[in-house]
Amino acid sequence: MSDTLHIEVTINGRRRGLDVAVHHTLLDVLRDDIDLTGAKECCVVGECGACTVIVDGRPMNSCLMLAVEVDGAEVMTVEGLASDGNLSRLQTAFLDHGAAQCGFCIPGQLMSAHALLEGNANPSVEEVHEALAGNLCRCAGYPQITAAVLASAPGVER
Amino acid sequence: MQAFAYARPQTVEEAIALLEEHGDQAELLAGGTDLIIELRNAWKRPKVVIDLKRIEELRPAIREEDGKLVITATTVMADIVADERVRRHFPALVEAADVVGSVQIRNRATLAGNICNGSPAADTAPPLLVYAAEVVVAGPAGRRRVPIDEFIVGPGKVALGSAELVTAIELPLPVQPVAAAFTRLTRRRGTDLASITLCCGVDATGTARLAYGSVGPRALLIVDDSGVLADPGATDEEKAPILERMLAAASPSPTSMRAGPEYRLAMLPVLGARALRTAIKRLAETK
Amino acid sequence: MSAGGGIGAPAHRLGGYGRVTGHQQYVADIPMADALHAKLVTLDCAHARIISIDTSAALQVPGVRFVMTADDLPSPMPRFGPEYQDRPVLAVGETKYFGEPVAAVAAETKDAAEEAARLVKVEYEVLPAIFTLESALDASAELVQDPSIRRPGPLTGSNVLCEYHFGWGDVDASRADLVVENTYRWPMQTHFAIEPHGFIAAPDGDGIAVWSSIQHPYQLQKTLARVLEMPMSKVRVLAPDPGGAFGGKQHPKLEPLVAFMALRADRPVRLILTLEEAFQAVRRTSTAIRVRTGFKSDGTLVFQDFENDYLVGAYGDTGDRITSKASYLSAGPYRTPAVRIVARAVLSHTTPTHPYRGFGIPQVTWARECNLDAGAFALGIDRLEIRLRNLAKYGEEFIPGDTPADGDWAQTVRKAADEIQWGTPLLEGQGRGIAIGLKSGPTTGLSYATARFLADGSVLVYSGTSDMGQGARTIFAQIAAEELGVPVDRVSVVMGDTSVVPYDQQTSASRSSVLMGNAVLSACRSLQGQIRKMASRLYGVDEAAIVVDRGVVRLPDREEAIVDVLTAGLGRMGGELIGNGESRKDADPDHPLGGTALFFEFNCTACDVEVDRETGETVILRYVTVSDVGFALNPIQVTGQDEGAAVMGIGHALMEHLILDDSGRTRNLGAIDYRIPTTKDLPLDFHSYIVENADGPGPYGVKGMSEGSLLGTAPAVAAAVREATGVVIRDLPLTPERVWRAMRELGAS
Repeated sequence: MSDTLHIEVTINGRRRGLDVAVHHTLLDVLRDDIDLTGAKECCVVGECGACTVIVDGRPMNSCLMLAVEVDGAEVMTVEGLASDGNLSRLQTAFLDHGAAQCGFCIPGQLMSAHALLEGNANPSVEEVHEALAGNLCRCAGYPQITAAVLASAPGVER
Repeated sequence: MQAFAYARPQTVEEAIALLEEHGDQAELLAGGTDLIIELRNAWKRPKVVIDLKRIEELRPAIREEDGKLVITATTVMADIVADERVRRHFPALVEAADVVGSVQIRNRATLAGNICNGSPAADTAPPLLVYAAEVVVAGPAGRRRVPIDEFIVGPGKVALGSAELVTAIELPLPVQPVAAAFTRLTRRRGTDLASITLCCGVDATGTARLAYGSVGPRALLIVDDSGVLADPGATDEEKAPILERMLAAASPSPTSMRAGPEYRLAMLPVLGARALRTAIKRLAETK
Repeated sequence: MSAGGGIGAPAHRLGGYGRVTGHQQYVADIPMADALHAKLVTLDCAHARIISIDTSAALQVPGVRFVMTADDLPSPMPRFGPEYQDRPVLAVGETKYFGEPVAAVAAETKDAAEEAARLVKVEYEVLPAIFTLESALDASAELVQDPSIRRPGPLTGSNVLCEYHFGWGDVDASRADLVVENTYRWPMQTHFAIEPHGFIAAPDGDGIAVWSSIQHPYQLQKTLARVLEMPMSKVRVLAPDPGGAFGGKQHPKLEPLVAFMALRADRPVRLILTLEEAFQAVRRTSTAIRVRTGFKSDGTLVFQDFENDYLVGAYGDTGDRITSKASYLSAGPYRTPAVRIVARAVLSHTTPTHPYRGFGIPQVTWARECNLDAGAFALGIDRLEIRLRNLAKYGEEFIPGDTPADGDWAQTVRKAADEIQWGTPLLEGQGRGIAIGLKSGPTTGLSYATARFLADGSVLVYSGTSDMGQGARTIFAQIAAEELGVPVDRVSVVMGDTSVVPYDQQTSASRSSVLMGNAVLSACRSLQGQIRKMASRLYGVDEAAIVVDRGVVRLPDREEAIVDVLTAGLGRMGGELIGNGESRKDADPDHPLGGTALFFEFNCTACDVEVDRETGETVILRYVTVSDVGFALNPIQVTGQDEGAAVMGIGHALMEHLILDDSGRTRNLGAIDYRIPTTKDLPLDFHSYIVENADGPGPYGVKGMSEGSLLGTAPAVAAAVREATGVVIRDLPLTPERVWRAMRELGAS
């Protein structure tokens, strides 16, 4: 029993040891403790998805997880999508299709989309909509976001 | 949110000991999709939060045992939806689990948590009632099984002693053909909390089981043995009064923001009839 | 269209890279060393008299530096607001709406600030709250605002903030074959930008620096300077791109409070609102509009007679302007011989209204278009036909004394009708609707821009517009790329810093493509003029014989690339060329709105729906929106804005409303019970189109856009629901429950 805990967590491929307050959410720790501000704070009730990150391969709302719960886990944030400064195919597709307007929901959209495509090489429109149903976009760029995800699917012929 | 202490017991016995020590100053954490919100809003102010996810026995798993499908307490909705045995034997549970929030929520929310949270609108309650699920509870006095209908007591209340926790939910594998369908009423097609949750099951003996929630303090299960509801040859006019009788126990809140009581009462037979039709169709397909 | 991503090209969004990598810094992402965290204290009621504030327990929390209350601010309490200086920095004596701050904690950590805010004990007396038009307008109603803070006049003894009379002709003397009269209501709604408002203030020498998700940095600068009693030159406003605004971040809200806190602390202070607090901070006014429409039997309009009441909240904010500007256009783009409009902004104990995409026009469109349909229905005239019959023609002065119809509007309407296949049959339980929206752009305006042509031929553009997702930064870069003949990826745009970027009046009213676009164009033309002088000097040619046409310098005997002339002209010393541009539309004091419309946004929306006869659920099968945009500077961005506006409109039509309890508090604060569209709520088949006739006042014939597609959604959907079910609903939103109820009542009658 304690109110701070040392956790070991792999974030974007890099193993890190962190001392976190047990009552801080994963979102708090990402943004405030380690300056990964890609994940955003909006509704904090798990409705908007702006805080979505990928934990052990699954997209989750980081606002509804205590940081201590990812001790030993692998976490990916939007900052981990590009490698060596090169955008992923998904990110490039977002740019090509104008998927980002104000951009605030986009890190969360990218996380949900990335996780979808890892498990489904050729999703249908309905599957994309279902995968992104927990990512609200008030600029409502849903058609462009959907088109970008479909275009970057690995199973799609080039 | 306000600070609390955090415990990660490794066994069920350790968890029970912590609960005995802290009583109502402790909260159990599985998926967190309800608890974290309650903590942030200070609706719950525990001294200690007990994380169940390190307990080996409770690790996410779905297994067949003694004619039952056993779903451990930390099994999440996404796993339930994806499990081939759940899909085959308990499709209405899959339908319900698949609409609990979004993908992100379903990757965290546990079946046990959904029930223990005690919301009258819990999506999984009606299918669990129709499928006659049992809740396995562990406490200082040992283990016991509680039929789901007895386990759900009222809003936010389940039949758990202060030092008890749910270790699994068990679904008896059907020994004869049975088919059920889940449906619900929401404000938009996107993810939403339900204004009505409803599950209808029929079996080869002609019994119809109707469970519905979000229209009263707890989800209710009503059984009909007349054979009329399950009979594909009976007309809607013959079925309507039976459905009406089964739905009569509904007492929707007059002040809910999500839907007014008149609308809910009017939609119950509509949804009931639709779920019944689907269940009958599914039963025919199992033959 | 040039190959280098110039105008008309679907160039990648400037700032897109930061948005897809997570490196884009919104206000809440900005690191600020040594900052204190602020947390607001509000009361759980709509209207209260503050008796006392006990901060002793709060001050005991470790890490708390101070708790700010009205007593810590100058006396009399500084007040501010875009039109009326009536909003106090902190509530003093009374709170006037649910969520009005009475105190603010400053602490070393967020946790400490939150805990301390919970411990501030406010003793207060709940007072009756006024939160409906009926109660506000009742003769015996208590006054929401004391006459002492009202502008002197005949209305100060009432809750009517202002009243406007517009129109022409003589409605009462008009003879119509049919008069249709109905009242239409629009609920309070909230913007729900995914980024809640955020504010940081930090002492900056003997001045102050303030970061805000603000759409109008220069107006914030002016307000802060006045309230803090500092010269504007010592007030620096930094405006990161807002994470969505939709009008809700136009004017100052909590920046003055945070600034006072920073000055008191002599350290930066940071306040990021929760989503619930954002819902309490800004909203769209609710309206009740009574309209009488007079028709000849062939559907020709004889008169339109409007009584518009806007419930604007506890402070003036922009309620006056929204009421007047929107009401002025109530009669829409139609030829109407007689029009009478009486419009009132009414005060209430609710969140002050703030501009919201459409600026009051969705509400008048709802009333006008639905009533037009009612007339068409009664006369047995096709609803498309009745609109085309009355639609103003290109160049027609449909509002006496104002800008004539500035587009081939019939073309837009016909395009929508064609795409929805108007006139083709639908199945049982399905219906089709069509509606027209018209909004005016700005009536006055002023924008400056600077462009710097650097020694290597790359370009810096300075523009004070706020890029909140509409893509302003990108189109200004495209204009510069086009005019100076450089690839767009060699243009950088500097925005969001009042100390560095010259004045722009505001980002609103879909004005920026035109006003700032023209300013940027003007700055580029200035550079082109300097290039001409350079060329004249370099090549010994008379200036009059040189033409600079975008990236090409034409001499009598040859052409040179502009960059080559620049390099040669700057010579060994290097340097740069600086061009300043201005774009201005002056006020017209004789005009009822202070100026004519710079342009109109015209949109036609059509849709097919299917209604579940048992549950009332409406599914939009097909949706078409067509906007008259003049020219699409960046087609992808135009599509994103048009479709985004349409989906927002669908939310407004089908699911969005703020629900108040019987004491005036908002019940559905937050994301769980205020529903907005998700991916699963889109129309099954969804298309947007644009009409481009290069007939706008902006660069290359551009008109403003991005609000048009929101305007006609509700009436189009309601008309389709009517055709599908026979029900007429005049109060939004068309939730399944409301449609069900209306079907039941229709069945019963």
